[in-house]
Amino acid sequence: MKMSRRTLLSSSVIAALYGAARPSMALASSDQPPWRNWSGALVSHPIARFSPATEAELADFFASSSGPVRPVGSGHSFSPLVPTDGHLVVLDQMTGLLKHDADALTATFAAGTRLGDMGSTLNNIGQAMLNLPDIDRQTLAGATSTGTHGTGINFKSLSGYVTQLRLITPLGEHLDITPADKDLFNAARVSVGALGVITQMTLQNRTPYRLKQTSWIMNTNEALSQFDQQAATHRHFELFPLTHSDYSIALATDETDEAVNNPPVSPEDEAAFDDAMRGWMLVPPALRKPLVNGLAEMIEPSSRVDVSHRILTNVRNNRFNEMEYSVPIAAGAECLQEVLRTIEQKRIDVVFPLEYRYVAPDDTWLSMSSGDEGHAAISIHRIATEDYRPYFDVIEPIFWKYHGRPHWGKVHSLGATELLALYPEFGRFQALREKLDPQGRMLNDHLRKLFGVKS
Amino acid sequence: MNYRITLLITTAIMALSIAGCGAPDQSSSIESNPLGERSLAESPADAARVARLWSQSCALCHVTGVAGAPRAGNAEDWAPRLATGKALLLKHTIEGYNSMPPLGYCMSCTESDFSALIDLMAEGVAK
Repeated sequence: MKMSRRTLLSSSVIAALYGAARPSMALASSDQPPWRNWSGALVSHPIARFSPATEAELADFFASSSGPVRPVGSGHSFSPLVPTDGHLVVLDQMTGLLKHDADALTATFAAGTRLGDMGSTLNNIGQAMLNLPDIDRQTLAGATSTGTHGTGINFKSLSGYVTQLRLITPLGEHLDITPADKDLFNAARVSVGALGVITQMTLQNRTPYRLKQTSWIMNTNEALSQFDQQAATHRHFELFPLTHSDYSIALATDETDEAVNNPPVSPEDEAAFDDAMRGWMLVPPALRKPLVNGLAEMIEPSSRVDVSHRILTNVRNNRFNEMEYSVPIAAGAECLQEVLRTIEQKRIDVVFPLEYRYVAPDDTWLSMSSGDEGHAAISIHRIATEDYRPYFDVIEPIFWKYHGRPHWGKVHSLGATELLALYPEFGRFQALREKLDPQGRMLNDHLRKLFGVKS
Repeated sequence: MNYRITLLITTAIMALSIAGCGAPDQSSSIESNPLGERSLAESPADAARVARLWSQSCALCHVTGVAGAPRAGNAEDWAPRLATGKALLLKHTIEGYNSMPPLGYCMSCTESDFSALIDLMAEGVAK
């Protein structure tokens, strides 16, 4: 049997193991179940859902209703951006391609379109997205407005490829926002639903292309010493450092003319992995490192080729909670090494690999890479049914030490005071938010903390 | 299973779910739905509404069966699940279960919608 990264990464056993242990939760008595996020860690009971079919309906809704409003995409955020006891605006009727420009290679999608539904649609009109995040279940507006990004020192967050968007403000205004709007454009692209509800976005794309993705095992310190060179050599380069180990899985992705070769992982391989994993979970962290190192050295390189959107995104076979911070590239390796060292020294029982990648700077006010320098994004994960707080609480101060900026859609505990120090334009965003939403209808407790608004 | 293979397999625990299963393209399920074209039916469980919800949410995983999702209309996938009872399936759909996220990506679905969506995907499977 050939070991490959893909077979390594495709097992669903953990989901099964922990899914069986999930506590039973009572269903809501009404026909509308409570809202829950993707991981299940967040639960809320909105007074009602509103699913507008048109922008006019959305504007009418704002005019005819009162109280808090939060928009939701796919519910993939781990931070409490969505929970509200007011109205939840669901954009599941605002989906699909609205228009495109074959010469400029731009395409406008309704905001509720899922990233995973855009690849083929774009291919049919001779376009492809320049980059994508690892998960493609999010909606376009949800992913973009939380600062979601892919991998690559030459690639910005999704927000960096938005050329125009339409925002319906809580005051019912329709704002078509372009680069000419400067401040509003730079604020609205990453605005966590605080300025209103985005209904459509236009993206700068390119012609369709194929990618070849290769993975192999590297010593983590060696990989970090080569990271800048690898990141400059490959279109995309990232590491998945293995906890309680000296090794990482390296992943390099480049354009290719090779034929598509992307077979699915065989069920037999997945079943075999499942059996082995059940035993592995019993190995204490302190005993894990020698074994993991020995095993890591036996992992064979693997590669696959496919159209870009099938290589850049992946299906997650189990659910988790995640914390992600970006630190200036110059501090990236040291920060990652301290995180790995802390996991080992404190014997934190986590088997989820970390993720380490570069993101290009951009001009949005609240992007993780906002400003003039690229950032290294570092992610830690915890299985959805485990309490993530003890692990994340230990690691988060390490990110702060390196001036880390949190991913808006992922777990973090920062508030306005800290964020003001991390984002040069944060104060301007606060002022703009107050102007567009003077009544604070787009706020929940979490957003009030983010933007320093009293209840 | 020989020792080397066992070791290799065991290594998988380290990687868990940084994914990478190269999901087949599921984009064919979505159609362009320009703003202004209303398709919402009045009855929460009527066929048009259920079909739209299916296309926009369930189809992402239940067409090809990625991440272990039971494939729509596939008796082999659905029969053992139906045997556990509709109430349990509905509970798993709403609360999440294994790879299935809570609400199955359908943020506006009512309990009646979820029930209808389960029926739609299990349609034709002997109960």
